[in-house]
Amino acid sequence: MRTLLTFLPVSLLLAGNLFAAGVDDNFAAANKLYAEGKFAAAAKAYDQICQSGVRSTALLFNDANAHFKAGNLGQAIAAYREAALLSPRNPEINANLEFVRKQVQGPTLHVSHWAGSLNLLSLNEWTVFTVIAFWVTFLLLGLRQLRPALAGSLKTLTWFFALLTIASGGALGVHAANHLSNGTAVVLSAEATARSGPWEEAQSVFTVHDGAELSIATRHDDWVQVTDGTGKIGWLPNRLVAILPGA
Amino acid sequence: MRKPIAILVLLLSLGLAARAANFSVSLDRNTIRLGEEATLSLTFEGGQPSVVPEPTVAGLDFANPVSTQNSSDINGVMSFTVTISYAVVAHQAGGFTIPPMTTQIGGQRFTSRAIHLTVLKNDAPNEQEINSGLEPAFMKLTMPSKAIYAGEAVTCELDIYLRDDVQNYGNFQLTSTPTDGFSLGKSVEGRRFRAQVGSRVYTVIPLSLGLTALKAGPVTVGPFTGSVVVVLPEGGQQNQDPFFRSFFNQGTQKQVALSTEQLAVNSLPLPDPKPANFNGAIGTFTLNVSVGPTNLTVGDPLTVRVQIAGRGAFDSITLPDQSGLRDFRIFPPTTKTELTDKLGFEGTKTFEEIVTPQNNDIHKWPEFSFSYFDPENGQYHTLNQAAVPLLVSAAAAVPPPTLAGNKTTPQENQTPRDILPIKESVGPLEAVSVPLVFQTKFIALQSVPVLAFLAAFVWRKRADNLANNPRLRRQRAVAQLVRTGLTELRQLATDNKPDEFFALLFRLMQEQLGERLDCPATAITEAVVDERLNRPGASPQLQADLRELFQLCNQARYAPVRGTSELNSVAVLLERAVNELQALKT
Repeated sequence: MRTLLTFLPVSLLLAGNLFAAGVDDNFAAANKLYAEGKFAAAAKAYDQICQSGVRSTALLFNDANAHFKAGNLGQAIAAYREAALLSPRNPEINANLEFVRKQVQGPTLHVSHWAGSLNLLSLNEWTVFTVIAFWVTFLLLGLRQLRPALAGSLKTLTWFFALLTIASGGALGVHAANHLSNGTAVVLSAEATARSGPWEEAQSVFTVHDGAELSIATRHDDWVQVTDGTGKIGWLPNRLVAILPGA
Repeated sequence: MRKPIAILVLLLSLGLAARAANFSVSLDRNTIRLGEEATLSLTFEGGQPSVVPEPTVAGLDFANPVSTQNSSDINGVMSFTVTISYAVVAHQAGGFTIPPMTTQIGGQRFTSRAIHLTVLKNDAPNEQEINSGLEPAFMKLTMPSKAIYAGEAVTCELDIYLRDDVQNYGNFQLTSTPTDGFSLGKSVEGRRFRAQVGSRVYTVIPLSLGLTALKAGPVTVGPFTGSVVVVLPEGGQQNQDPFFRSFFNQGTQKQVALSTEQLAVNSLPLPDPKPANFNGAIGTFTLNVSVGPTNLTVGDPLTVRVQIAGRGAFDSITLPDQSGLRDFRIFPPTTKTELTDKLGFEGTKTFEEIVTPQNNDIHKWPEFSFSYFDPENGQYHTLNQAAVPLLVSAAAAVPPPTLAGNKTTPQENQTPRDILPIKESVGPLEAVSVPLVFQTKFIALQSVPVLAFLAAFVWRKRADNLANNPRLRRQRAVAQLVRTGLTELRQLATDNKPDEFFALLFRLMQEQLGERLDCPATAITEAVVDERLNRPGASPQLQADLRELFQLCNQARYAPVRGTSELNSVAVLLERAVNELQALKT
């Protein structure tokens, strides 16, 4: 058993390295396709790496670039947004995302400044930030119990961290609620008709184009009810959109 | 194998009338030559076998099971017989025993007898036998050379000779093709021809076999063995006109075992010195390299196509090492091999690689060279392709990304013309996982600072409580004093120091009684015990013990020295009294 336990981490490390080596090779092959101008093939190759269950900022960034070059604005925006979840303050991702968003025609959702500032940190970063503030607050409270003489001098600091905990906890709550919300739909087809009900024969309400980002109000079977930010509400079939977490 | 057997069992289960049941196993002949087939028959008579046994003998193959059924009605008695036949093929010469097989028919158990099969070695016919014209068919194996080079691709010829009176032939199969030190490649049948061998004319069917020498040193090809079924004219028709023979379709089938000799070949090692960029290519080749486009910017893809055409072992051809080309980023090449002959030794191998210049100081794609060894003349040759001039211009400046809060900078109005380029490295990988805030263990971990704070809070409350309660403080101090005092008492008893023992005993009683009666320890005397300890809860025994202890203390001042055992018993008495006192409610 001891031998097993000794070699298990080594085996796992080895397996991890081999896995990473495979990803590196596939990534290089996809980059080569991109360099050759075979953008659709490159996008497919990047997608296949993503389907293996791994993510990296560079992988999603390149995937988004390849989709954009292949003319798939929706796929590109979805991949950029996913990359931004991993690296929310990456200027290159944000620059390319904004560039691609400007190519999108028709109605689309606009991110508010409040939501934009909230997205400066990822959900995990908000979590860690809040937890640190929370721990420091309670450690200060505990220290005040153990050393009553320090209570006076620690009072301001304790209040600061307590308020920081409340504020960051609020932001975390909003972020987590967004994550658990119905999410955002990104249109993947060149043109999609939002209908008044979740069936193909329903009356057309408005039309959206490839790359349009729409807030999901609710879901029903294989349909999502979306709003475009201007008050228009309609139903789109799931097959025409990519559903992303968050608003 | 199991599926046909199951089908056969199903056929058997259609119903077999009972007669005298029996089970037997037989061979159509007990001696064959290597490469020939024998037929093994399993015969079930008069009933349905519950299990059809499968013959298994090491060195023998039992293939192509065939089932036949016979039924007969003799004087109203139905008789059914099912026979399962196998083609028996041997892998080697020698004696084989097919062991007894057991089955059950109609509840009766039957076991066959063991059968022996002798497989004779199949020697290639010698020159005299061939020239005699008695062999209806034979094989010959020839190599182009007795000396080759390791890695060289060669073609050996396997010729099948059929005598002129062979009316037809079929079911040709090679049962063994040993090649020690060679890899056997594709085979191609050539154009047939007729040849005079001895006194007879033979039809020759040539087969070309591709071989590649795998090592240096002595290597061998053969003996190849096989068999063919030929149709020969019947005894009285030997001299009949071939037209009439074929017209009446007469003749007898005969299976002929074929075998060749073993050919020894000397595989020579490649001579030294080898060219620096030699990668093991052996044959005769030409080189063509194309590079384009030649006018490009830094980072643009440049396609380099290397075509190596000729004859040889194409599997061993690889691109020379290009690690020295530091000014180019080189992507792994794609390889395509187009073979123009059926043996796979002639054709073109094309390597296509994408490279990107890394700076604009590059002015050419460097000279390319490819070396190979030509086994025809035993020399190395190096093919060179001259350098290709390139015009590499600097990449256009990429507009910096627009950052939030950067709105007053002059770049605000600059609209990027394109997206920023892709990343070269995949970077740190992250498995897709549940966010921390939704992980139960992570949330549970957050109770730690709360619990730490609660522990500190409780500790503080207890400390404050103690500070504000002098009786409690005294109670704890006395309890501590008594604990250490009792230990010290036992030590004094052991050391037999009665004076110190009784002095400490008296003090401990004063401290404990003072704490219990809430009065100064110095005010405690035996009289106090009588006055204030006479209350509910204090047992008469306790009072008596305390009195005795006081009296012992008094006596100790006047009485002679006591022994250790007596002092120990006094300590025990004190301990009992103290325990009872501490249990009293104050």
